[in-house]
Amino acid sequence: MAKKPTPEELSKINYSLPYTGWMYNPVEFKDGMFCNASKPESLNTVDFPNARKWSVKDEDWNLPENWKEIVLEAMKERLEKYRSFRLFMDICVRCGACADKCHFFLGTGDPKNMPVLRAELIRSVYRRYFTKSGQMLGNLAGGRELTLDVLKEWWYYFYQCSECRRCSVFCPYGIDQAEITMIGREILNLLGLNIEWIAGPVANCFMKGNHLGLEPHTIKSNFEFMIDDIEEITGVKVDPSFNRKGAEVLFVAPSGDMFGDPGTYTCMGYMMLFHEIGLDYTWSTYASEGGNFGFFTSNEMAKRLNSKIYAEAQRLGVKWIIGGECGHMWRVMHQYMDTWNGPADFLEVPVSPITGTKFENAGSTKMIHIAEFTADLIKHGKLNLDPSRNDHLKVTFHDSCNTSRGMGILDEPRYVIKNVCNNFHEMPEDTIREKTFCCGSGSGLNASENMELRLRGGFPRANAVKHVQQHHGVNMLANICAIDRAALPPLMNYWVPGVDVAGMHELVANALVMKGEKERTQDMRLEDLPEKEGAEDV
Amino acid sequence: MSDDVNKGMPVDLDEEGYLIDYHQWDEAIAHALAEKEGVGELTPDRMEIIKFMRTYYEKYNYYPILRHVCKNVHQEKECINEEFIDPLKAVKIAGLPQPTGEVVAYLKDEVA
Repeated sequence: MAKKPTPEELSKINYSLPYTGWMYNPVEFKDGMFCNASKPESLNTVDFPNARKWSVKDEDWNLPENWKEIVLEAMKERLEKYRSFRLFMDICVRCGACADKCHFFLGTGDPKNMPVLRAELIRSVYRRYFTKSGQMLGNLAGGRELTLDVLKEWWYYFYQCSECRRCSVFCPYGIDQAEITMIGREILNLLGLNIEWIAGPVANCFMKGNHLGLEPHTIKSNFEFMIDDIEEITGVKVDPSFNRKGAEVLFVAPSGDMFGDPGTYTCMGYMMLFHEIGLDYTWSTYASEGGNFGFFTSNEMAKRLNSKIYAEAQRLGVKWIIGGECGHMWRVMHQYMDTWNGPADFLEVPVSPITGTKFENAGSTKMIHIAEFTADLIKHGKLNLDPSRNDHLKVTFHDSCNTSRGMGILDEPRYVIKNVCNNFHEMPEDTIREKTFCCGSGSGLNASENMELRLRGGFPRANAVKHVQQHHGVNMLANICAIDRAALPPLMNYWVPGVDVAGMHELVANALVMKGEKERTQDMRLEDLPEKEGAEDV
Repeated sequence: MSDDVNKGMPVDLDEEGYLIDYHQWDEAIAHALAEKEGVGELTPDRMEIIKFMRTYYEKYNYYPILRHVCKNVHQEKECINEEFIDPLKAVKIAGLPQPTGEVVAYLKDEVA
């Protein structure tokens, strides 16, 4: 970001519309609002086309000579392949219901961040080349020539959409803007036009099994450190296994939880929970990533990265899979994995060995979300919990876009949190559950160089947190997403100082009374717990 | 790399100020990098942090969890933020390669 604006400056947003039309104004690349270009080595790792050094602000993007042909051919192919894409191109009546629902529009005031207009960037090209009226009448019929300026505009705005799908909740036709962005990005990738914050993790995941590029011995070392911390806090030594053949369950988490705070506290929570209930499970250093940045690149890349989860489950001979707290990971698991890499006939429908609950909802994928698993344990009274150990926290819950809108995990996390915390306050109704506001950094936009975009995009979410901070003294923003755990701390520090960020299983771990544990004097962050006696006096 | 970045430095740095050749590092370079980053004097506590980060990197081909560093050098668990303000400055002074964007996102929770 060029110069860090103050929150007061940044919150002055100009919503007045420009006098000139939108169609023929070349895009202006504003510092702080876009991510760095992908590096050739990242694209080469996964054999993506046109790997070369390029820079966003260069006039010449070093595109192949026939780039226009490639784009139009790719559009044609996808219009035939995906009925949804053609439908979304055809049926929008431009009613504008979505316009003010996008966090990026609310935070920037840029009309091209209205979902309807962002889609129109590609829809206008669709009309010009793929509809009779557009072919004959050109821009009279809303058609637009595909030029380099148009392509650059696509790049700028398709990497200013976090694929959160809030707009689709309000669209009377149910147009899924995320799918339009996904197709747009997929086409851009045919020309080597990715961002490094996506291309780098994709390459890492392809080579080493996870976005961060953690190698097996590094993962092991990080776990040993966390195990040591758990023992210091609880007196209990947990003993997770890695790549263990014959385990009943494979557990796959986002790699961020194995490296960055506060994700590591959540990771410790997973380990403590599984230890306490005696689950026969294993981690994998090969399928060491639940997230899938391929999903922000192309369907094909997402499929390639996703395939290792079933491959590893088969190799290890597990019966079923649990997945950790991650957002976009779950849109992939829930809506794509089975079609791409299934059917996983070698696995069994998940049955909790502790409660006997059969997760019929995962009858096809054979993979369940840890929020479902833990909620089921609590519902059956299988966990000994002391929520007062979270009494120093006043908690609210941020629904990740993908777990809420993408798969309908709405009540399970709330049920868990209310059972492990005594102080829970919801944010306003229009900002939670299906209508949740994005963190502003999803879909691979969590870079440093686009910090102004992230702060602007995260403004509506932060505003809702501020509301519960002011009314209820909320000081902890819980979530079930690793991107949230990386993206929300700077967002809170900027807009709502005094609010910290935690994964749900960190809160579970605080409250979890383990067999043989010592008296807890510290929470999962090794912070002293407030005096219990004082709390009882109140 | 720009000349400005390298001004007065006996070694080559990349555009962001990270040492290009990890092996060129020695304590004198660390002092020069610390001065360039505005960290000031490299006290024994700070040098201990830096050295642990290097040892870890050599063994694991990766950046250590920040708390892990502090625990191992027996300092406060926020030692890196306290001693260097910005964890990335510690990475630079330790002569480690520039971390990828995602690593940066997990190391920093302040707005740049």
